[in-house]
Amino acid sequence: MSPLGRRRALEALRLVVIALAVVIAVLPLAWVVLASFKGPADVSQMPPRLLFTPTLDNYNRVLDAGFFAFFRNSVVITVAAVALSVALGVPAAYGFSRLRVRGARGLLLFVLAVRFVPYIVFAVPLFVIMVRLGLVGTHVGLTVVYILVNLPLVVWLMKSFFDDVPTDIDDAAAVDGANRVQSFAYIVLPSALAGVACVTILSFIFTWNEYLLALVLSGRAAQTLPVVLTRFLGGMEDPVRWGLLSASSVVVLAPVVLVTLLVHRYVRAGFGGRPS
Amino acid sequence: MTHGTRSASDWRAAATFIGPALVALALVAVLPTVWAIVSSLFDWHFHRPHLRTFVWFDNYRRLFGDSRFLNAAWITFIYTSVSVMATMVLGTMLALLTKAPFPGKSVVRALLTIPMIMTPVVSTLVWKTFFFEADVGLVNWLLSLVGVDGPAWVARSPSALFTILVVNIWFMTPFVYLVMDAALDGFPQEVLDAAHIDGANYWQRVHHVILPMLRATIVFTVIFRITIDARMFEIIHVMTGGGPARDTEVLTLWVYNAALRNFHLGYGNAGGVVLMVAVGLLCFAIMLVGLRGIYQRTGTS
Repeated sequence: MSPLGRRRALEALRLVVIALAVVIAVLPLAWVVLASFKGPADVSQMPPRLLFTPTLDNYNRVLDAGFFAFFRNSVVITVAAVALSVALGVPAAYGFSRLRVRGARGLLLFVLAVRFVPYIVFAVPLFVIMVRLGLVGTHVGLTVVYILVNLPLVVWLMKSFFDDVPTDIDDAAAVDGANRVQSFAYIVLPSALAGVACVTILSFIFTWNEYLLALVLSGRAAQTLPVVLTRFLGGMEDPVRWGLLSASSVVVLAPVVLVTLLVHRYVRAGFGGRPS
Repeated sequence: MTHGTRSASDWRAAATFIGPALVALALVAVLPTVWAIVSSLFDWHFHRPHLRTFVWFDNYRRLFGDSRFLNAAWITFIYTSVSVMATMVLGTMLALLTKAPFPGKSVVRALLTIPMIMTPVVSTLVWKTFFFEADVGLVNWLLSLVGVDGPAWVARSPSALFTILVVNIWFMTPFVYLVMDAALDGFPQEVLDAAHIDGANYWQRVHHVILPMLRATIVFTVIFRITIDARMFEIIHVMTGGGPARDTEVLTLWVYNAALRNFHLGYGNAGGVVLMVAVGLLCFAIMLVGLRGIYQRTGTS
């Protein structure tokens, strides 16, 4: 084969492999979305039916099953937890980025270390402590505990965003008579809003999806969507339940998938990528 | 910098900006960790608190004679090492493959991140119900096309371990891909071009130029990946529940069962402490070995 032909063949192979990777990545999502619109007769057919009469029955039954109360639990807990972690973490990140204090490096590593501890180590003591405080099964309990999941992420990512803001503008603000708090609130923070968007979105995804802490601490009254979903595990031999499972899965996935696809550049920025 | 007033005001500012976050972490992270370590020295049943007795390191001694615990430690080791290695290789390969421009690149990048942001409980349910199902699942249907009679994946060993590995690898490869993709984006194109002119072929360039430049990123990504997989709970809990028998019971699940199902708080927490310490030591060792020589050359930053 000529060198040109060989290069073209390699390029074609590259694109085929990429396409295959995309198919594998997207297949579970595509499958469950399709299944959620299928009736019991279509949902368990092999080979898979791509042409079928779509139905909203599954979604209606999800509504009847009282799913909305759990959706509300997830929304309330996630919004409150993300707000709390961003409110605590963004000023802390500014402090770690700008203030010269002895021991700051050690404290920063401590914050990161929290992210690396197996969550089950936290979950057992938190369960016992929260039973005593009467916080198991409350929105407040889970909201506060999700500081564990989000705060290290917010502090570390926001610090790198603040580090990218030139310190010249702090100096200029100081010359103009701004104190630290004013300099942070009016000068530096507005220059790092992309970072705030990034940490907010990533915290939202991690909190919405979290399972172990929710399973242990949400009791009956504060169950979030991932915990409720596993209830549909029983009786899975019945295709009717497959439809129910699919529709409720789509309801759980919709917020995170939509957010990720709409503002993908912020998600990417969280992993060191420059906005594209 | 050394003015007394400046550093005093910095301390006050530090207390204002950093203080609240540290107090919050002390309450939700440090307190439970200390509690877990202290409780691991007690014989302590949740429903019989009055019988709580201090037993020094008896729980730890018991752990290392407990075949169920040792089995869980072994499964965790296998699970974590296979998954970390597979995701590192696949994610890095994907990043290299997508480096050169092609039509639809930004859409492809977004779609490739979907497994990572999907709720793991949902992904696992989809894999379990629709793909690994024995009779009408996609995998066994595809196998039947080539004349293979597929097993009852989730209900049998060793295929059950295989299924949770597949889901974990599918879930976490996008993470490695995103990190490597971003790191590759930061490379000066001239370095790659220079190697190209020297007549190095693609694999030589990857091996001698790109991978060495990625070394620090690879080390930190491996550490991050280990900490995530070693504590993985939801994929296993939903897919197999630790079964069949205890063939997929990882340490996180073991602690969950010991402390929160059987309510042996002290004994269960001792297992959790062992997991935490083992993961910490392993990551520290990898950091020391993996980064040796990097920061001496460039100076610490």
